[in-house]
Amino acid sequence: MEKNIYIMVVEDEPEVLDSIVRDIASFEEFFPIEMADTAEEAREIIRSILDDGKEIGLILCDHVLPGDNGVELLVEMQKNPETAETKKVLITGQAGLQETVRAVNEAELKHYIAKPWEKNELVQIVRDLLTNYVINHADSPLGYMAILDGEKIADFIRRGGSITDH
Amino acid sequence: MSKSKLAGLVLGIIGFAVPLFVTFPGLSLAGHFAMSIFLLAAVFWMFETIPIYSTSILVIFFQVILLSSEGFIDYSAMAYTPLPYSNFIATLADPIIILFLGGFVLADASVKYDFDKNMTRLLLRPFGSQTKYIMLGLMLVTAILSAFMSNTATTAMMITVILPIIARMEPGDPARTGIALCIPFAANIGGIATPIGTPPNAVVIAALNNQGLDIAFSSWMMYAAPLAIVMLLFAWQVLLRLYQPATEVIPLKLDGNLKKSRNAIILYVTFGLTVLLWVTEGIHGIRSAIVALIPVAVLTLTSVFEKNDIRKLPWEVLWLIAGGIALGISMKETGLAEWMVGSIAWDTFGYLLLLAIFGAVALIMSNFLSNTVTASLLIPLAISLATSGVIDGPFGMIMIGLVIALSASFAMVLPISTPPNAIAVSTGMVKTKDMITSGLIIGLVGLTLILLLAVIYWPFIV
Repeated sequence: MEKNIYIMVVEDEPEVLDSIVRDIASFEEFFPIEMADTAEEAREIIRSILDDGKEIGLILCDHVLPGDNGVELLVEMQKNPETAETKKVLITGQAGLQETVRAVNEAELKHYIAKPWEKNELVQIVRDLLTNYVINHADSPLGYMAILDGEKIADFIRRGGSITDH
Repeated sequence: MSKSKLAGLVLGIIGFAVPLFVTFPGLSLAGHFAMSIFLLAAVFWMFETIPIYSTSILVIFFQVILLSSEGFIDYSAMAYTPLPYSNFIATLADPIIILFLGGFVLADASVKYDFDKNMTRLLLRPFGSQTKYIMLGLMLVTAILSAFMSNTATTAMMITVILPIIARMEPGDPARTGIALCIPFAANIGGIATPIGTPPNAVVIAALNNQGLDIAFSSWMMYAAPLAIVMLLFAWQVLLRLYQPATEVIPLKLDGNLKKSRNAIILYVTFGLTVLLWVTEGIHGIRSAIVALIPVAVLTLTSVFEKNDIRKLPWEVLWLIAGGIALGISMKETGLAEWMVGSIAWDTFGYLLLLAIFGAVALIMSNFLSNTVTASLLIPLAISLATSGVIDGPFGMIMIGLVIALSASFAMVLPISTPPNAIAVSTGMVKTKDMITSGLIIGLVGLTLILLLAVIYWPFIV
């Protein structure tokens, strides 16, 4: 299967970045993971992924970053039609109420994960969000049944999505 | 565009062009045009150069402009009397299409009110918690539902039922594979039981109708349902032996209660009444396509089924079937089908061998192609064998039609053979090689049984 849907992880502390990527490594076979340690670098990577005709399904983003902060990046992605549909998650220990509210209101934040996180919790969130993403955006969500929420994808097909008898 | 699609595009255009430039002796001008359309459709359907339903639309389009009395070709001095263009576009409202429309409305309304899901849970309860009987229960329920709903939607729904069951089984238990395989197999097999079970049935029944042979809903069930039941039990035994359950008992949690809202109850009553009238057609004689208007009328006038639901019906499947019906009409009317079968000395084959050939070809083709496409390509040839007297008239026509439709549904060797197979493999619980082994056994036994029925059963009830 063509791997068109990317996961973007933005985190400035190398150990934390490693640990996030390690926790969600099981998805990499279907969803290539790209890493960045600043919002600026993330922008460049996102640009090049989009220019290749691929899409960003999910972004896991720290808030406190050198330079532009995470919420800034998410709001900006929300405003760009090419990344508006990307599922956006904050992983942070330090986002204040005001910034979090902004992320919810202006970036349609899908989840707020407080550090330190549980691996199972993170995997579950990534699985749910990617499932929703492929159901709405992938040409054939069928191919993701084994790795994502198979029941939910099957139910989507039951409701007439994607394939019928022929 | 992928290489195979591109190859299909080139071949399709060549196929279309050949009869325009080459004159085949014994074939009329209209027959040449019909051949162009046939070759184009066959190639496009096989290579899926364009979606299979758009090939069907293209068939109707070319028939209207090349073969109808309102088209661009002047047939006034020729033997071929062109049909009015309305005959070609009327395939979209063929009684069998209306029958399917009624089925689609019932099925989609059931999904809307979770009737399919809750019914499944209720029906599964009597099967207890022994692995082998759970599997039998799953197969029976799948088959019954897929006899009235789409095989694909039934499979998808049943997958949501079995995934939690499989998750509760030991990781190394072979029966996990068995259970994941039993669903698509049962859905494919269940589809043969009624005329609306699966689209190839529609193409065949419409072709027979065009010959003046009415196949009642109940008659089809008399022909095909016994086969479905036997094959279901056989498939169950095959899967039990190939994937012996390691655990005897699976704890089941089947909570589900039928919804009791006004709309849901209207649906249950309409569903029950429609199915009852369908299966008793032989007694009261009201045609199944007319009965099919009941759910369409009742469910829309009560707002159980609304505008948005109508928009979401699988209209492309109806186009696909209509194209198949239309292709048959032009092949028959222009004499193309007769010309094609006339080039082979069929009389040397013998009746049973002939059925076996069509059955085997249908089985092989539909493992790689859409089942509907397989039926659409084969049925015009089969019908003209009967009209040209090679096999015995109306009776032979029904026989060979049944053989084609039923054999096409027994193709379940590969993930690409049918959408239910594709779904099962996508769950990750089934390897393609498992599907090949058991699918091959079921396909071959199914074909043998079909031929057996053609000798010892159908002749006595048709």
